[in-house]
Amino acid sequence: MFKALAPRAARPPTLRSLSARPSKLFQTISPLLAGRISRGYATESEEKDLVIIGGGVAGYVAAIKAGQEGLKVACIEKRGALGGTCLNVGCIPSKSLLNNSHLYHQILHDTKNRGIDVGEVKLNLAQMMKAKDTSVSGLTKGVEFLFKKNNVEYIKGTGAFADEHTIKVNLVDGGETHVRGKNIFIATGSESTPFPGLEVDEKKVITSTGALALKEVPKKMAVIGGGIIGLEMASVWSRLGAEVTVVEFLGQIGGPGMDAEVAKQAQKLLTKQGLKFKLNTKVTAGDAGGEGVKLSLEAAKGGKEETLDSDIVLVAIGRRAYTSGLGLEAIGLETDDRGRLVIDQEYRTKLPHIRVIGDCTFGPMLAHKAEEEAYAAVEFLTKNYGHVNYNAIPSVMYTHPEVAWVGQNEQELKKEGINYKVGSFPFSANSRAKTNLDTDGMVKFLADAETDRILGVHIIGANAGEMIAEGTLALEYGASTEDVARTCHAHPTLAEAFKEAAMSTYSKAIHY
Amino acid sequence: MRGGSVGRGKNSAGGRSEAGLSTQQVPGNSRLKETRGGAFSEFTAIDRKSINFDRNAVCNGSPASGQSRSPDFAASYRYWQQSTSQHHAASNFVMPALSPTMTEGNIASWKIKEGDSFAPGDVLLEIETDKATMDVEAQDEGVLAKIMQQDGTKAIKVGARIAVLADTDDDLSSLEIPAEEQPTPESKPAESSSDKPSASNSSSSSQPQSSAPPKPAKKPSTAPPGEGKIQTYPLYPSVQMLLHQKGLSTEDANKIPASGPSGRLLKGDVLAYLGEIESNYAAEQSKRITDLGHLDLSNIKLAAPKKAAAEDKKAEGKQEAVPEPDLEVAIPVSLTAVYEAQERLQEALGMSLPLSTFIARASEIANEKLPRAKGPASADELFDSVLGLKTPKKTSRGSYTPHVTMMGPVTPAARLTKAMDIIDVLAGSSKAAPRPVRSGAIGVGSWDGENIFSLSVKKGEERRARVYLERVKTVLESEPGRCVL
Ligand SMILES: Cc1cc2nc3c(=O)[nH]c(=O)nc-3n(C[C@H](O)[C@H](O)[C@H](O)COP(=O)(O)OP(=O)(O)OC[C@H]3O[C@@H](n4cnc5c(N)ncnc54)[C@H](O)[C@@H]3O)c2cc1C
Repeated sequence: MFKALAPRAARPPTLRSLSARPSKLFQTISPLLAGRISRGYATESEEKDLVIIGGGVAGYVAAIKAGQEGLKVACIEKRGALGGTCLNVGCIPSKSLLNNSHLYHQILHDTKNRGIDVGEVKLNLAQMMKAKDTSVSGLTKGVEFLFKKNNVEYIKGTGAFADEHTIKVNLVDGGETHVRGKNIFIATGSESTPFPGLEVDEKKVITSTGALALKEVPKKMAVIGGGIIGLEMASVWSRLGAEVTVVEFLGQIGGPGMDAEVAKQAQKLLTKQGLKFKLNTKVTAGDAGGEGVKLSLEAAKGGKEETLDSDIVLVAIGRRAYTSGLGLEAIGLETDDRGRLVIDQEYRTKLPHIRVIGDCTFGPMLAHKAEEEAYAAVEFLTKNYGHVNYNAIPSVMYTHPEVAWVGQNEQELKKEGINYKVGSFPFSANSRAKTNLDTDGMVKFLADAETDRILGVHIIGANAGEMIAEGTLALEYGASTEDVARTCHAHPTLAEAFKEAAMSTYSKAIHY
Repeated sequence: MRGGSVGRGKNSAGGRSEAGLSTQQVPGNSRLKETRGGAFSEFTAIDRKSINFDRNAVCNGSPASGQSRSPDFAASYRYWQQSTSQHHAASNFVMPALSPTMTEGNIASWKIKEGDSFAPGDVLLEIETDKATMDVEAQDEGVLAKIMQQDGTKAIKVGARIAVLADTDDDLSSLEIPAEEQPTPESKPAESSSDKPSASNSSSSSQPQSSAPPKPAKKPSTAPPGEGKIQTYPLYPSVQMLLHQKGLSTEDANKIPASGPSGRLLKGDVLAYLGEIESNYAAEQSKRITDLGHLDLSNIKLAAPKKAAAEDKKAEGKQEAVPEPDLEVAIPVSLTAVYEAQERLQEALGMSLPLSTFIARASEIANEKLPRAKGPASADELFDSVLGLKTPKKTSRGSYTPHVTMMGPVTPAARLTKAMDIIDVLAGSSKAAPRPVRSGAIGVGSWDGENIFSLSVKKGEERRARVYLERVKTVLESEPGRCVL
């Protein structure tokens, strides 16, 4: 004990980098400090069955499910609202802007031939943003209501590990509290990956968060990264009048999961709508010092250099796991080289009572994936078994037309050397698409050449995001294209194209 | 209602029309009904029913029904008891349980005679229970070798032998009549539970096989190794088509090794069984796809320890977002005033207040309304303003606790007479704990109770930290009384 009192070398009272050091004295007095400080701000409560850090999709779904299963559960969220990235600055607000900007764009360009004469059309951006905010706040409040309904304790504050079972929460309203959990879920989500050399100020250099809250339509916008988020935001601002250029390092848009043939078609259709693409191009430097932002580009394989001027640059090069401030080191939890928390197949860390779900661990960064994991992780607690099929997690890009897929794509099958067959059906031959005057796109099946088992479904078309559910179900059940083809589909619907594509895979389509 | 699609997992004989199926009721269905909604009476309300069975039918409790079913009932699904000897085709035919509550039944009349052969769909006998009279239909072909319980026999326990059946090509004269395997209540549940398909493990399908008829299967030579599984789900349309085209019965379907999710029979499985594709192709494909269904957690590259990672990046000359190293902010604080305050307290009130309390209280005061850290909080703030949650406040409460380094060398134990609390020693408040005496030998200048209070903070937080420490210093040096109030 007296070691704490032993003299130590004098430290000059200045600012300097800190290296690891023992803090025995600190440890000796900290319980007293903690007790004293928390007094009057929050009371410590009894041990929970489950404490969840993060109230995003992964966290809130786990909390509600745990409440339904009768567990005593608390969910800690540091932002003033539940729903995380998805509800507040992700899926939901982006879909609001995508839907309304599409409507605006269609009213501008696609009414005359339908027999609708429209007078002057004007954009009221502030109102469009308000509509988005209304959707968002309605949904986040809805989650809060569900917490109450399912007896979930909602703790507003930032959580950090005090020890393996205790979370210290720095409360949003001041003060702090401690919660103990028999089990702990980490669901702290992700953040957008910064672009080296371009500091995000969310005004000129923005992430998707800034892109969801611009006060005016920029004249010129550059988007670094042609993945789903980049293309969705590019679509919104292009429809509202910006001149948008998308710079992508890879040779295709949509990210590596998108089927190459579909990606090409999507690129063609988006180009027709006014988007500009620079593929196989890397951004080597950015300068936000002047009026706008200047990007230096270079052909990915070296050579040709050019510059791209714009008013605003959207950095959309991906997202990375977010765990900072959690105090992982304190309890010895590991992350991989991309910051993802290391888990096993049952989402357990090396401390088995701590599990990790959603964006902050492995797998695709998607809200429905986070949701599946949340459900399964709770069932691992209560039922000892949880089900998530990572081969049947659909992806959707909500541009117009939408792009959706599930399972493997042609590139992947080729790489694995699998003997597959392809069947597709264009919406231009589908009666409903024809009546809608919206015939871009197709449905494409990839099935095993021997067994006819469905390996992947890829859709580009107006309703792809809804239609992919059927492909996902088929994949979940190990169906063959014949099974889909022999299942009745209502007429006239876009879904008939799905059936006909299946027919054309194992046999022949009727209407093409 | 589709007979046989659940429970026993048998459609009636393969190729039967759906209309035929719909008039039939198999026990499995009833069971399902009961567990789903307690509607077993529906079963007994219908007066004439046919019971399909075949010699392969075994207890196949679906997981859902298995729980609510009594073990005896479960076991009684084994209409056919196979002779233990695999060399003889004869098998015992036992009193079937026609409802979950049935424990015994009467034989109203046999519809065929000893020595008669029968085909799938033929009515073999009529059984009476206290609720209804029902036909029992054959689902497999065979010969009625011997009737053990004649027409009119009453109160035959479920599971008791009522006849012996043989294969069509068996020589009845030389047939060995198997011993009756009187199912003992103890052994039955065990058997039935192992028959239950488990959701995660389709290999449990080996159980049904053990009671399969010894009759050599009509499998093509290319039939893949592996075991069939009674299909408890509706067959997929592609599978139904193939079975029809190839003249296979639904019963045959149960012998086909099924590789689909939860043991479902896939088109590929049938193709492999028929020898149209390589025999193990479907199974291997299923394994590949099952693997795709799991998170790929192989080849995880653990993050290098923070320091090393930072150096790596420096070495590569990247200006990428290297996590800023923590900064230490430190300030000297004299505790003389605190000691004096302690002494005054001791004299005036006889109360000893440990130093830690002073520090804690000072820290609490200092944490109030600290200036906000500047720097990359912008995402959160933008987030909040996007949501219209709040306009960022200029100040917020801190949660700092100071790290205290004692500067003065201390002569410890020399004059200590008994073990003391470190806090008392620190505070120097108790008589038994004399204030540590500085030994002048080590040159730290004039020590007057001065210590270093420090904090380690993120970049951008220095000002906030410094304000905090200054406040702690002010409280401890000039207004220690505030800590007592
Ligand atoms: C623009 C955009 C569009 C998107 N569109 C789609 C889409 O259409 N479909 C789709 O499936 N996915 C979409 N995504 C992805 C989706 O938003 C994420 O996959 C999903 O939000 C992940 O959920 P999560 O719960 O794992 O993490 P998050 O939603 O990021 O939630 C984590 C939560 O934890 C909180 N937190 C973090 N640390 C702490 C702490 N120490 N203490 C307390 N709380 C903490 C955070 O404040 C946050 O609320 C989109 C993302 C973006 C950015």
